[in-house]
Amino acid sequence: MAKNIRNFSIVAHIDHGKSTLADRLLEYTGALSAREMTEQVLDSMDLERERGITIKAHAVRLLYTSIDGKEYILNLIDTPGHVDFSYEVSRSLASCEGALLVVDASQGVQAQTLANAHLALEHNLEIIPLINKIDLPGADPEKTKKQIEDTIGIDCSEAILASAKEGIGTREVLEAVVKKIPPPEGVDDKPLKALIFDSWFDNYQGVIVLLRVFEGKIIAGKKIKLMATGSVYEVFQVGIFSPKMEQVPELSSGEVGYIIAGIKSVTDTKIGDTITDADNPVQSPCPGYRDIKPMVFCGLYPVASYQYENLRNALNKLRLNDASFTYEPETSLALGFGFRCGFLGLLHMEIVKERLEREFDLSLLSTAPTVVYRVKKTDGKIFSIDNPALLPEKCDAIEEPFVLLMIFVPGEYLGSILDLCQEKRGVQKNFTFIGKDKVKVEYEMPLNEILWDFYNRLKSLSKGYASMDYDFIGYRSSNLVKLNVLINGEVVDALSLIVHTDQAYVKGRELAEKLREIIPRQMYEVVIQAAVGNKIIARESVKALRKDVLAKCYGGDITRKRKLLEKQREGKKRMKQVGRVELPQEAFLAVLKVK
Amino acid sequence: MPDSLYIHIPFCIRKCIYCDFFSVPYDKSAAQAYIEALCWELILKKDSAQALKTVYIGGGTPSLLPDECLTQLFICLKDNFSFSSDIEITIEANPGTINESKINTLFSLGVNRLSIGIQSFNDNELKVLGRIHSSEDALISIEMIKNAGLNNFSVDLMYGIPGQTMESWKDSLLKASGGSPRHISTYELTVEENTPLSRFIESGEVIIPDEDLILEMYNYAIDYLGGCGYKQYEISNFAMPGFECMHNLNYWDRGEYIGAGAGAHSFINEIRSINTKDIKSYIEILTEGKSVEMEPIRLFPPEALKEFIFLGLRKIKGININTPICIPPLIRGDIRGCNSILDASKELTTEGYLEFDRGYLRLTRKGLVISNTVIVKLFEKLGL
Repeated sequence: MAKNIRNFSIVAHIDHGKSTLADRLLEYTGALSAREMTEQVLDSMDLERERGITIKAHAVRLLYTSIDGKEYILNLIDTPGHVDFSYEVSRSLASCEGALLVVDASQGVQAQTLANAHLALEHNLEIIPLINKIDLPGADPEKTKKQIEDTIGIDCSEAILASAKEGIGTREVLEAVVKKIPPPEGVDDKPLKALIFDSWFDNYQGVIVLLRVFEGKIIAGKKIKLMATGSVYEVFQVGIFSPKMEQVPELSSGEVGYIIAGIKSVTDTKIGDTITDADNPVQSPCPGYRDIKPMVFCGLYPVASYQYENLRNALNKLRLNDASFTYEPETSLALGFGFRCGFLGLLHMEIVKERLEREFDLSLLSTAPTVVYRVKKTDGKIFSIDNPALLPEKCDAIEEPFVLLMIFVPGEYLGSILDLCQEKRGVQKNFTFIGKDKVKVEYEMPLNEILWDFYNRLKSLSKGYASMDYDFIGYRSSNLVKLNVLINGEVVDALSLIVHTDQAYVKGRELAEKLREIIPRQMYEVVIQAAVGNKIIARESVKALRKDVLAKCYGGDITRKRKLLEKQREGKKRMKQVGRVELPQEAFLAVLKVK
Repeated sequence: MPDSLYIHIPFCIRKCIYCDFFSVPYDKSAAQAYIEALCWELILKKDSAQALKTVYIGGGTPSLLPDECLTQLFICLKDNFSFSSDIEITIEANPGTINESKINTLFSLGVNRLSIGIQSFNDNELKVLGRIHSSEDALISIEMIKNAGLNNFSVDLMYGIPGQTMESWKDSLLKASGGSPRHISTYELTVEENTPLSRFIESGEVIIPDEDLILEMYNYAIDYLGGCGYKQYEISNFAMPGFECMHNLNYWDRGEYIGAGAGAHSFINEIRSINTKDIKSYIEILTEGKSVEMEPIRLFPPEALKEFIFLGLRKIKGININTPICIPPLIRGDIRGCNSILDASKELTTEGYLEFDRGYLRLTRKGLVISNTVIVKLFEKLGL
């Protein structure tokens, strides 16, 4: 029975055509007719489609009759395409026996190509290389193959040449999946052992869990236990996505599908957790489970304080669907009541912010993103802070998270990229030529430096050609200080930063200058100061507004004047009043604009 | 019912570089067809006005109209509207488009106030602005008007012109007051989007005076004209006692008015509307006997209150918040009444941007120059 099943993922660098290929596979196998296809079916969230990335994993069952005449069940497990979600990717890959590695024929191997390929190799997956976009003018399949062989070390002699957009190579992909990827192992008459690789909340059915069964089988009515949390549920529906939701009588070993079991929150269905028989549990869970912790934090505040409760409800609802972000109420002297929110990374943060504003119609103010610091106090106690304002004036040591950063860059941009890494406190660990014109460099770097405008600068310095990926490698002690910003003499806690001592002066000056540009003129002078401890290191001022346009009120056209004033009024509504000063939202993100 | 009528004449010899007002190049046959249609519109509206107290013919350049067009327009006016005995009839005129005979024609038709768009007595500045006249033309025009026996005329001046200096501004003010007009308007040159001026500034071809200089020019105008006997009665307007422009005061008092002509605005029964701007369709629609009013906006108390405040505060006298009679009936019923305006203005009063005196709330000199900011702040305090 298990012999005709193939479980596989598609992995690729962003924009190399992963979702388009998935669409073609769905279309070719008749899972959806061309007419039913909305483009890129697997990316169902609007945001995903707009940003061209896959945020959540999905799984689709395809039925395919091979040229050998047999019908196969192909389970395509889509994976998120961003470093923020690498744990989710790893759990999806753990549910497969093989992976299609998609590489753009003109762009060649990129940072996430390598990161994802390594992840797949770690899980002992059969990797099928696929050179995509071969129809484009700049395509160089041979060079791309060579790059893959050189960097990843897999044989590309049988790599599939495809254009997912044009539908070229689709059949070859399906045949390769059948021929090369091994069928799942495992037996049905053992105790249930299934891996959760995704889950989400549905308003009508509660939590829907996507899983891969490794041993045993799962049927409606079965009592199951989630091993990490220990909680027990009764399954009341078992099914698959075709991609429409379809009930099936059972999911047995080797199969991929969903269950519904009256679970109320995705915080109970942790990705990577193992589902087993409540009455006859397996001894050991599926390997690789981790309780993932947010890496990046920021304060989220409603611009209008009366929206606080709406924000709380929105966060609550969003968390039903996304257990990887966290929130805790916090109070800022400058901003009032809000929440300290934790995210997997910058993209995750932006997605959550955008969904809160878009889906819940909130106007939000966000503080600059920060990492979690470990602080050793003078009394020897160690504690963590996720808000720079909370850093005590006196402490023995501060530790910050470091990552191993991998950058792929064409040789001609290498110089400026190395300078950037240097400036961002990176320490070079590795330097390798990939073919003649591409370089792979690895740096150990504080994660915090990556949060502050690193990616944008990497992209602009390399005209978009450099790509990056990183892995958390641990906490290290750094020489850090708190940089405070004072507006008209008062510390604005929401603007506080933790910076390296050597950069404090430069950052303080640049931040003050940036704030002067951002803060509009007001009825009074606005004095901006940057300070380390009690020492003022920079001062700027926004001169008081001296005049408005003393224009003619055009004969009879009163509406025009009213609209002008209303526009000015609306602009004020979007600003945050801090003391007597009105600060625009972007002031709180000014640090991101500082070099 | 309104007792105020605005008539728009959208023709100019050429457009000035700063103008984003509606106008087209002058052409005699087009003007004749336009006046024909305008008369149709006036006839359509004849029953919606009471005895007129003010008529204002603006543009464009109304003084470009040939005598027969002007005559036709005034005959139509007199046939269809009644005039109050103290009626003010203003027409805008530009130097270079008037001569003795034109002035006499206007005079005989009943025009009793002229507003002359001089803008500057400095030829370089006039050239930069794209005006068709010279400072010499301006002086001659003033003489002609006075010789014709018409003393009630107004001079428009502009400050903030590219290349303008404090000296040239003083000179323009001196020459303007030297002509003894009863009224002087001083406007800051406003850079509107999508005008040649905005493009010149962007490309660096012209540079406008900096903020401090503009402020100095404004303050100088107030002091200088005050010394000459011109009392400032609105942000940009100065007059000898009794010669304030009644037509414009009606706008700032939030009075009703009828607008006629392409692109003209009306305000009747708390509804603001605008006529179609396109001359061709303006003529066509009226030929079919239909209304050219578009986009009517009905004002509800919050908007009405906003208008009452921002229009009223343009006047130096300010807004009367003690006698509810001056607050339009629609606003009177609203909970945000007179007292709350006073409450809301407390901070701004303490800080010296507004002052409250004998029932009137007004902008101080300090507040006048940042009137938009002060008004928006007041809106904020009122929760508007």
